[in-house]
Parts: sequence; C-alpha cells; structure tokens
Amino acid sequence: MAPPGAGPASVRPARGSLRLSEGWFAFLLVLPALLGIFVVVLFPLAYSLWLSFTDVNLLRSTGPAFEIFGVRVPLFRFVGLQNYVRIFDDPLYWSSLWRTLYFVGAFVLEATLMGLGMALVLNERFGGRPLMRSLLLIPWSLSRVVVGLLWVGILDFEFGALNGLLHNLGLIERSISFFKDGFTALNVLVTVYMWNQAPFAALLFLAGMQSVSVDLYSAAEVDGAGYWQRFRYVTLPAIRPIMFLVLVLATVNGFLMLDLIYVLTMGGPANETTTISWLGFQTAFAFFKFGPGTAILYTLTALCLLVTVVYQRLILNRFEPEA
Amino acid sequence: MTTTRRAFLGNAGVLAASAVLADGMRGMARADKPINLSGWVFKPDTVKDYIEFYNKKHAGQVKYEAIPWAQYHPTMETRALAGEIVDVMYCNHNNRERWFENGLIRAVDDLPGTDELKKKMTPANLDSLKSKDGSKLLGLPYFTSLFVLIYNEPMLQQAGIKAPAKSWDELVEHCTKLKKDKISDTPFLPNWNNSPSGTMPQFMSDCFSEGAQVFDAKNRVIADQEPGAAKAMERWQKVYKADLVNPEVLTKTSSTDTHRLFWTGRYAYHTNHSYYLKTIAAEPENSKLAPKKAKMAMYPGTGQTYMWTDSYVVNAKSKNLEDAWKLTRFLGGNLNGDWYVQRQWCLISGLDNPYPEMYDHPEIISSYDKWIDLKLLREQYKKGKVIAAYKEPWYGEYDTKAVAIIHNIIRGTTPVPKGLKELTALQKSLV
Repeated sequence: MAPPGAGPASVRPARGSLRLSEGWFAFLLVLPALLGIFVVVLFPLAYSLWLSFTDVNLLRSTGPAFEIFGVRVPLFRFVGLQNYVRIFDDPLYWSSLWRTLYFVGAFVLEATLMGLGMALVLNERFGGRPLMRSLLLIPWSLSRVVVGLLWVGILDFEFGALNGLLHNLGLIERSISFFKDGFTALNVLVTVYMWNQAPFAALLFLAGMQSVSVDLYSAAEVDGAGYWQRFRYVTLPAIRPIMFLVLVLATVNGFLMLDLIYVLTMGGPANETTTISWLGFQTAFAFFKFGPGTAILYTLTALCLLVTVVYQRLILNRFEPEA
Repeated sequence: MTTTRRAFLGNAGVLAASAVLADGMRGMARADKPINLSGWVFKPDTVKDYIEFYNKKHAGQVKYEAIPWAQYHPTMETRALAGEIVDVMYCNHNNRERWFENGLIRAVDDLPGTDELKKKMTPANLDSLKSKDGSKLLGLPYFTSLFVLIYNEPMLQQAGIKAPAKSWDELVEHCTKLKKDKISDTPFLPNWNNSPSGTMPQFMSDCFSEGAQVFDAKNRVIADQEPGAAKAMERWQKVYKADLVNPEVLTKTSSTDTHRLFWTGRYAYHTNHSYYLKTIAAEPENSKLAPKKAKMAMYPGTGQTYMWTDSYVVNAKSKNLEDAWKLTRFLGGNLNGDWYVQRQWCLISGLDNPYPEMYDHPEIISSYDKWIDLKLLREQYKKGKVIAAYKEPWYGEYDTKAVAIIHNIIRGTTPVPKGLKELTALQKSLV
C-alpha cells in the first residue's frame, strides 16, 4: 500500500537496485522527522492522556508495561473516569477554574489592548523609534522567574520600590500590601504577566500593521477618513489574522501560566491565587498524585481547544483573504 | 649524552602512550564501583568539598549531583521508575516512609555500626527516623531543626523593654507597645509562609507551646478538640487584625525569604527554624542585626516546639551496598571519627544534628558562640517535639492543603472553631 500522497511517478532505479515509488521515497525522507515528532510530541501526549485514566504510583509500577526503544513504559492500573470524577467533586477545582477564567479573561484583554496600543504608537514615525522598538522587547525576553523577582522588588510591602516612592512623595503613611487580599493579588499577577507578554503581542501587531498597503490608507484619506476611521476600517480588518494569533497565544499562555504564581504567591493567601495550572502542578508534583494531576491539566487542554475554536469562528471564519 | 631526533620522538611516543594508558587504567579502576549521591540544592559547593575529601581519604568513587528542591523528590521517583539506581539520597521526613513502603529505600538496622549510632542519637530524633511501626531505622540524619523565638535586642531596648517575652501574652503586649510608640510598624514576624516549611510547622509549634496536641496516637487530627490550639489561633487572628504582622508573610514562598525580612531590623520578634538565626546574627554583610543583635529566647508557654529530622537514605537496589553504606555513615554518622560532615554543617550553616556529644567540641562551642546561646539552644532541643503523622500516606497533601485553612483563620475569614473543624475534616477526607 502506498502512503498518502504517493503519486504515479516513480524514481527509476539503477539496474539491480530496489525499485521505489516517489511517494515511498518521499515518505522515507520525512520518516526521521516523523519519528522525532512521535517521540517528543505524540507519544508524551498520548501517554499523559492515558495516565489521566490510571492510578499512578511512580514507585510501584506493578501494572502492565511495554517497551519503546528499549525503555520500559509502565501503563499502571486503569481506573476509567475515576480521576475526572474525583477532581470534579473537589470544590477547590471549581473555585480554581472560575479564578482561572477570570485570570485568562483579564490577561487576554489587557495584553491585547496594551499590545495593540503599543503597536499603534510604534507604527508612527517619530525620533527614537528604532530604540523604542528594541526596548519594547526587554520585558518579553526576561525569564518569568526574573520578572517575578523584579516585581517583588517593586511591590513588596517591606522593601518595595513603589511603596518607597509613594512614601517619599508623602502620598502614603503606611505601606500598601499588594498581596494581602487574594483578589488584589490575582490582579497583580494579571498585570505582571501582561507587562511580560504585551510586548510580544505588540510585535505581532506591528508586523501585521506594516504589511498593510499604504495605498489603502491614502485612499481612505482621500475619502475623508480620520485617524480612528482609518484604524477601524483599514487597520483592524487587515490585522484580523494577527488578532486571531494574539488572542490564541494569549489565551493558551494565560491558561498555562505557572511560574509567576510560584515566585509571587504560591497560590496564596489561602487558595485565592490558585489557578488550574497551579492546582494540577501541586496535585502531581507535591502530592504525587499523577493520575488526578494529569486529569486536572487535561481539562485545561480541553478549555484551550474550546476557546481556540470559538476564536476561529468569531474571527478567522469571517475573514476572506485576498486572492 | 646525545639524543637523536629519531630517539627523542620514539621516547616521547612511548611516554605519551604510557600516560594515556595509565590514565585509562586509573579511569577503569575509578569507574569500577562508583557510588551516586543525589541531594537537593543546599550549599552544593560545601557538599562537593566534603565529597572530594571523602574520595581522597576513604578511597571513594562518589559522584554527587544536586537537584533543585522543588523538583527533587519527584525527580528521584521518576528516575527510580526508569530503573536508575541512585545509591545514596537525601530524603525529607515527609517522603521517607513512602519511599520505604514502596521499596525505593532499605532499612539500615542490619548494617555495621548502626547500633552504635542509634545509641548516640537523641531518642526523639531516633523515633523520627524510624518506620511507622517503629521497628526499623530508615536512614541516618542529614540535620535536625526546630522552631525558635528570635528577638531584636536593640529594638526592645529602645522601647524600654528589659527582657524578651516569656509568654505569648507578653509578646503581644510588647508588639502592641512597639507599634504604638512607632518604633516598628509590624513588630512580629511569624513564619506563616505558604511553603511546607512555614505555616504548618509554625501552627504545630504554637499549638505545642500552648500544651495542645495536633494529632492523637493514631495520627488523627484532633486540633479541634484542643483548647490550646484554639488559643493559639485566636492569638494569631488578634495580631493579624491589629496589624502587628507583615500581611505579606502569607504569600512569601519559603522560610528563607521570610527570615530575610528580619535582616532589616524592622521587626522585634521572629519565629523560624533555629539555623536561620546564624544568617541573622552572624552575617553583617546581609543583616542589620549582626553581630549578635538578634538573640534567641526560650519558646513561650510550655517551651515545646515542632522538631523534625531530614535524612540520608540508602537505595534498596544499590549494587554496591557496602560502599553506599560507608558513604552514608560518612555523611550521617561518624565514619571519619570526628563527625566530619555533621561538624561542617554546624560550623558553616548552623544546621544541627541529633548527636548531643558533638556539642561538647570546642570548635563547635566557639563557632556557635558567634551567633547563638548554645546552652539555651540545647535546652530548647530538649523540648523539641516530633510527630509521627508525617509517616502517613496522606500527610503531604494534608500538610499543603491545610495551609489555606490556617490562612483563612489568621485573616479572620473563618472563625477559629470552624477552621479547626475544617482541619479535622480535611484529614478525614484524605484517609
């Protein structure tokens, strides 16, 4: 049987050598890459999905197992939907889910608007624009652990620069605690993450804006369109695919954000900054419950897919690319 | 004597070949029976130094690897799953029993020299290192520690307070005065951080100091039946509500981060692991309270505080048990005859160990004298209280999830009796 895409043409072999169709030849060429993708993407994905239906004990892999490239892969005891039922029964899961949705919603909104705003500014001609564009990338290029520590330095109740500044200006008598209240702490996390991620969104928007033909703007100007009308009727439709990309990336990044929580709040105070990703991480790596832990994280994957489909329908399906 | 170019090149070739071969042979000898040691990251350079010492002095072939704390235990378990054998490992008290029950580590009672070491250990620490049924010793001690009360002497003097608080009521009174006199905005720094080394050990310490038990003999949570536990929690609510505590201590991510706040000299009292006083009182480059402006006082109330023992454990599948045990005795015992490793930790980091005889050594006495009242610390250790609940399979999850309940009590969002009942219910839900 020929692999998909195998055409009628064949590579004419030298006398005595193996006869190979062009399709098979192409398949053999891409086989190493396919194997690589299978080993590092498809297999871990399928295996972790399987783990979410099993009772995992890393120290006692007594269940069935198979071997792949000489490595024994235990399958553990299949428990059906038990892990999912268990997590859906946990009130902490649901409170973390609502918190995650708030976090993602606020983050996506802030990062998109801020990114778009920065891109609009950087799309204009002004002195120092190349420097500004370079500086823009600094927050995005920092490791998130560093970002977290940097913001601890700014916001800390005891030694934070912001409290120091406000105090020196005579605006406050007592330091403000940005992490005392859970909701405030959650919003701080949103803002810090936005600070870190908005530059990337700006970069994407900027690339999209620069690809818009100047003629369109000129034509709009001739028709009497002002700045906002040009933005509304020329720029926005033109950057719709970029908008889709930014929204999808921001949403997925928002759902998966973990490191800032680790550095800034550890999910506290109480559980008031605990999101689904933090709960999944804790369940798997602090409680050693890898079955429920992966189940929690797969619900997150399902949410990401769902939101991506919604974006696709709302944004991309209405977009007709030029021929 | 003349040397021809041909002879010179020939001799040089022979010399080079012998050097290569000799190195190869030595390499073969070294690789004969290597021992792997894995630990979480804490002063890895110190560990490397004493492993080098061990390899030279005891003809060892130890390979050491440090893994970040947060990933350490899951990493070791994943490696075990993949069939990798790490001969000697660090293991914290919460995971020791699980590793033993699941066959990752072995008991060490039958190995030479164990009985002698058992006799030298304080009974409470020995109990803490034993299996749940108390029949087997699961490792040798890496270090032991307990919660102590630390005070800022210059600040108390500034407020005209002549001696540190002997009771919790007195401590609250001192803090209220310090705040009222505007000497300190938040005078009290309890270790309420969000990590496993913070809020829960602090909760147990304060319950013990009020004469309350947290677990019964069967390791069930009974804090809701203990008036002392309620008293401790009411005090925590009170100091939080009165703004005597830095509210952000609840979101600090480690005990290390928490103790660093005390370096600023802006707090009067601090409760934390004993060894943190070393950086507070003996590192002038970091702390405003060094040298020795911060001191230790006996823990208020009954004086009892939570004590724990972390350990070195031996892999049950080690193919070179003799050498693995030899290394373990070097690390957690007295192979060298001078408590080499245990002494290093005392001198460098103030990490204590469960061998009281070490504390008679002049070098230890003079080193501790730079940062703590050693006699008082030893008295405090006599009041250190260990628990057995961490040997239960549910403990790790309980220990983490209970933090949120305690934080809600502290902030007053949950009334004390309800919160303590929630602790009991949480434990029941995990069994």
